[in-house]
Amino acid sequence: MSNIIVTAGVDVGSLGTKTVIFADGKIIGSSIIPTGLDSTENGLKGLEIALQSVGLERQDLKFIVATGYGRILAPYANKTITEITCHARGAYFIHPQTRTIIDMGGQDCKAIRLDEDGNVTDFAMNDKCAAGTGRFLEVMDNVFKVKLEELGPLALQATKVLSVSSTCTVFAESETVSLLARGEKPENIIIGIHYAIANRINGMFARVGIESDLFFSGGVAKNLGMRKALEDVLNVKIVEPEQDPQLVGAIGAAVIAYDLYQRSEKNNDRDSSNHQKSA
Amino acid sequence: MIETLQIIRNRLSQRPDELKKARESGVKVLGWSGYNIPEEIIYALGIIPIRIAIGGDEKLVEVGARYISTRNCVYVRELLGLIDEGKDPYIKNIDVYAFDATCLQTFRTAELVEFYFKKDVFVLGVPRNFYWDEAKEYFINEAKDFTAKLEEKTGLTLDAGKLEDAIRLYNKTRETLIRIYAYQASRNNVITWDEVYEIIQAGYFLDRKEYLSLLEQTLDELITLQENSAVTEDENEVRLFISGSIIPPGDRKLINIIKKLGGRIVGDDLWSGIIPYLDLNIEEPTIAGVALGYLNRTPHGALPYLDLQSDRRLKKMFELIDEFNAQGVIYHTLRYCDPYTFKAKETKDVLAKRKIPFLEIHTEYAGSDIEAIRTRIEAFLEMIQNTTTLQYEKVSL
Repeated sequence: MSNIIVTAGVDVGSLGTKTVIFADGKIIGSSIIPTGLDSTENGLKGLEIALQSVGLERQDLKFIVATGYGRILAPYANKTITEITCHARGAYFIHPQTRTIIDMGGQDCKAIRLDEDGNVTDFAMNDKCAAGTGRFLEVMDNVFKVKLEELGPLALQATKVLSVSSTCTVFAESETVSLLARGEKPENIIIGIHYAIANRINGMFARVGIESDLFFSGGVAKNLGMRKALEDVLNVKIVEPEQDPQLVGAIGAAVIAYDLYQRSEKNNDRDSSNHQKSA
Repeated sequence: MIETLQIIRNRLSQRPDELKKARESGVKVLGWSGYNIPEEIIYALGIIPIRIAIGGDEKLVEVGARYISTRNCVYVRELLGLIDEGKDPYIKNIDVYAFDATCLQTFRTAELVEFYFKKDVFVLGVPRNFYWDEAKEYFINEAKDFTAKLEEKTGLTLDAGKLEDAIRLYNKTRETLIRIYAYQASRNNVITWDEVYEIIQAGYFLDRKEYLSLLEQTLDELITLQENSAVTEDENEVRLFISGSIIPPGDRKLINIIKKLGGRIVGDDLWSGIIPYLDLNIEEPTIAGVALGYLNRTPHGALPYLDLQSDRRLKKMFELIDEFNAQGVIYHTLRYCDPYTFKAKETKDVLAKRKIPFLEIHTEYAGSDIEAIRTRIEAFLEMIQNTTTLQYEKVSL
């Protein structure tokens, strides 16, 4: 691998730590592990697993970019960059026609606008409340006694959409319990919850606007019920993901790491050529 | 750090004792909050004006919430908490309070200070539209009434000569402050915006004559330092303009995050910043002249945008952004500070027409959103760097 530039992107999120290994313009390896208490350890462990999956070692990496909320504790990284920039870069790398991104992660949700070169031009994030995030769905799976990944398929089985008026996690939980007690079908309530989240996200888009193509990234993007609700509420078609949407931030980080390494190499070449000229 | 700033800090630490002594000798101290209180008149009457402004203390906010609904901004809630607690060295030395009705939450605060704490409170009415002749007449009458009530309460009389002297002192203060402010925005600056902000806010408390003298000393020091300065400019710096809700002394959350992330604030139009000192031209040394001077300044954000094309606040914002060469605007809104929060979208749209990046930070004094704010600001800086400079060119491995 000595002539190939290998870089890594590590996205330490609130629920999952995602790592991508990137070599000469291609994603060659990845890992997703649950985030534990120690951000640094999570990042290192994620890196190790991803490297092992492609038979590489740490010293093979030329550059590492860390992102996600755990980026502030990433001594293994050459640079840290926000998840907003990384998701933009990752989505643009996967689908260059992307002009708008919804990134729904464990503890926040972002609406990001891009220009035709993939630069972020505007963004909005949800405020303090957990409503509209993966955490909201996590609370709900507990109410329905199902696994998180089962919520989406269950939502798609709904025969009608029940209105869940509140998008406050705590109030929505008690509202859901009331609907169940009234004898409503769980799947009809579950789709209602997804629409409640989508309505909240629609409000966030009022601040940044939507332009096609719309890319849906983050762990919640794997939820097909959420996709459907968003497409209905936002009245726009979401791009079919060619990569695991949970990896988009890490992909962006790895691509940026690759660019940064190449540019630094160019600078080094230019500096040494200038030095030789002046000598 | 410039030496005069340290002198200013030392003098501030001694100021509460000076106020106490002044009161013991019979001088009255007036604490005011608002935007349109004409300090020149208070000063000319021989009353010591203190601008009350403090923020950033969640505990005081909770205390204040006993008196005012939590649907009011943290700034006014903290103000009430401060008065209830009674430990602040300035609050302890205030004889009478004055508020203007520019922001209706401040006006409500005035009523509560009078009702719950049984303080002498004077309220200055403010028109909702500064452009009509009727508004001018109303505000002149309000200023006259405000003066008469102060005279009646304190037994003092406004002297024309003293008013003229006060106007001269305040004009000179504003002029010097504006000159100092320009230094922080220069490329090879020897003073930061943050330091100038501190100097501006020191003027809320210090004796006004001494304050002017300290400002002149600051300016002299800056002129010398800048001439001999070999500060290298940072090509990657992101020059930011701060707008929106008040950021009073004590509220360091947003400023500290920006500083820590390497953003450089180069200008503001905060009512706790430079804006009250700009464009205040008092044409005649009378109460009416002072009132008209205040009315012709850039209006406070509490007044609605009547026409986006001609609004003086937006015009001023563009003027300052250009003057200080800012690359983006961080618009700070306090939760339930409706005047600024409701203007965020309109302001963003107006700035977008000139392709000026805009980021709204909606917050309060609790620390729970620090990381979320950090991510937003960091991403905003990255966004500006990626689109305006080749940040990738300088990377160390």
